[in-house]
Amino acid sequence: MSNDTALAAQEPKTLKTDTLFVNLGPQHPSTHGVLRVGLTIDGEMITKAVPDIGYLHRGTQKLAEVRGYHHCVVLTDRWDYVSAMPNNLVFCLAAEKLMGLKVPPRADALRVVMCELNRLASHLLFFGTYGIDIGAFTPFLYAFREREMILDLFEMVCGARLTYNYIRLGGVMVDVTPEWLAKTKEFLDYFKPRLDEYDTLLSFNPIFMARTQEVGLISAEKAVNWGLSGPNLRGSGVNYDVRKNDPYSGYEHYDFDVPLGKTGSCWDRYYCRVQEMRQSVRILEQALAMLPHGEVSATGVAKVPKPPSGESYAHVEGSRGDLGIFLVSDGQASPYRMHVKAPSFLNLAILQEILVGNKVSDVIAILGSVDIVLGEVDR
Amino acid sequence: MTQDELFNRLSARLPQLERAASPIRDYLTLRLKSTDQILPAAKTLKELGYDYLEMISATDWLGPVNPNGYIRNPNPNVFLPEGATPQNVPGATPGVNYRPVFDMLWLFGNIKERTRVFLRLELPRSNPTTSSLYGLFKSADWQEREIYDLMGVRFEGHPNLTKILTPDFLQGHPLRKDYVHVKDRYDE
Amino acid sequence: MGIVLERLPGITKGLPGGELVLTTADYFIDLGRKASLWPMTFGLACCAIEMMASYASRFDFDRFGVIPRASPRQADVMIVAGTVVKKMAEPILEIYHQMPEPRFVISMGSCANCGGPYYDSYSVLKGVDRIVPVDVYIAGCPPRPEALQFAVVKLQEKIAKMKLEKGQGATLQQQRGSRDVVSDKPNEEPPIPARIGAV
Repeated sequence: MSNDTALAAQEPKTLKTDTLFVNLGPQHPSTHGVLRVGLTIDGEMITKAVPDIGYLHRGTQKLAEVRGYHHCVVLTDRWDYVSAMPNNLVFCLAAEKLMGLKVPPRADALRVVMCELNRLASHLLFFGTYGIDIGAFTPFLYAFREREMILDLFEMVCGARLTYNYIRLGGVMVDVTPEWLAKTKEFLDYFKPRLDEYDTLLSFNPIFMARTQEVGLISAEKAVNWGLSGPNLRGSGVNYDVRKNDPYSGYEHYDFDVPLGKTGSCWDRYYCRVQEMRQSVRILEQALAMLPHGEVSATGVAKVPKPPSGESYAHVEGSRGDLGIFLVSDGQASPYRMHVKAPSFLNLAILQEILVGNKVSDVIAILGSVDIVLGEVDR
Repeated sequence: MTQDELFNRLSARLPQLERAASPIRDYLTLRLKSTDQILPAAKTLKELGYDYLEMISATDWLGPVNPNGYIRNPNPNVFLPEGATPQNVPGATPGVNYRPVFDMLWLFGNIKERTRVFLRLELPRSNPTTSSLYGLFKSADWQEREIYDLMGVRFEGHPNLTKILTPDFLQGHPLRKDYVHVKDRYDE
Repeated sequence: MGIVLERLPGITKGLPGGELVLTTADYFIDLGRKASLWPMTFGLACCAIEMMASYASRFDFDRFGVIPRASPRQADVMIVAGTVVKKMAEPILEIYHQMPEPRFVISMGSCANCGGPYYDSYSVLKGVDRIVPVDVYIAGCPPRPEALQFAVVKLQEKIAKMKLEKGQGATLQQQRGSRDVVSDKPNEEPPIPARIGAV
């Protein structure tokens, strides 16, 4: 007995342990783009995590200073390329505030329809790729089956699958056709039962729940303090949705709930998104049922708009959170300054705190649940 | 809650703030007089429920952007037919108050009351230094680094004020209006 | 070079002599190379989403023998899908050199071709062909999945024309490495193109 005690006392001196630096990315199939995380690990535990971004920094904020206002809409498409419609919308809202444009009601309703359809497409992509991250490949194929149908709808209305440039200053590009409306309603009828299918496929899968329910916990105070937004914030139980908090484009007329999580775990964030898809379907049904008639674009939008000097801020609930634009005009044909408040940028910053103390195998689960798009992080 | 009501409520606790001359459309905009006011103001706002720091931004008011900050001619009309007049890069507008300052901007949100307030502060271009809000709001961490990287505003008290977006070999701060791009090994 | 194709009676029956097919080594090796192009899952930006769509249910890239690999060591072709910024240029070069020979590059989308909408940006590389040799360019912002599949078909056509000897039909950099068997000075580094040398 005494020998063992003596051996145990000796152990720290004889056995030397060291931490190991592991480089995750910038090319890694599960980082959803070009993110690099420098992990310092002690055995299986992570002691330090340093996200390194900028591998997709395209300098759009600088480019906007020489582009015209109509050209800037093209740049906005490529921030959050998974859901480009809210990006178009937020820039147009900020620019319309500067120009004093009044958007016709049909254009507002169409903007809501497109944004919610895009939210569905974006959350479907998250649903599919998060399954792959955890090790379930099948949901990816199911999610993309439905996602392609939404992209078909977008293609019908504006000709593009990913970068739409559909929401323009003063309204939208073109009115939708009756066939499009019929096809969208058909899609919604098809899509609603699929949501139950997803629940049986992934959400309540015991293995999936075991891997995600206890990891990556973010308390409500921490989430607010780190400036999270979107489903990441709501997964922690904070009721903050720009659609309710600061309504735009007539969201106050629609009846929908804001799904909230309880503990702020990876599963809560995941399930918030799945629940949000149901709410999006609800909004879509209401919007299509009461689509007003009339013009889809305001009159008097200049070819080269030169808004009077001033500053405006607009923000929308993008698919990843509170997406804001701060726009300064000095009376020229280009914005004097455009600042993008990107939700992914802030959502990603919390990784340096929540990854610490977790096991290596949970890193991808946490990283995937935050649902970042690197185009928006780096802009 | 209207902007006036909000201003009256805030000015009871923060008498040093005044309403900005040129507000941001539809939002209450308050202006700070000096750099040392931002930290106490942010602390008081946090106590008042404005615990959600949404955005940190800055505007360089030096004047029109320098076209040499772009690699190629930033003229948007690159496919103009012969003889057409190209659209010029933005020039100065008469009447606009261009001045050598960085106009800082903080946006604080109150999630429960559904209100938000902008704080503004002018920093001289010769010494753009202000206090970091990292101690109060963790969301300031990367946003301040971004402003430092792109604008060159220094935040005192930030634990890790380093480049975040631009590559290591990029010289200067790209969002400054007088930024001139130095050709690196990847440019022609 | 003769190869016995025991399992192809439909083809071999008609041949004089029975079960022997004569072909060239070039044809046979190119057939193997082109029918199983394994790309690296290398998404940079928006085009990566379309690349994912081409792997997924509707477009089903497996029909072309295209199976994504996560490691450059197992990949034949690098699909540069998205904007290449200067900070990412170094890792791309590193990944390219980790891929085994012969390696191919598909430049997907306007950004990877020439900078695209970011033609004047201070931080975007104006075309991935400044750092690695590109076999097929796809236009579009982003290109449709069909366009990516067409690029793979074009790359297969290109591979079918390659010859083992002296690396005919390959780009300058593809002539280096394992297929440079007839070099006079095997230990000497082959000349590097000027634009690559600048990096």
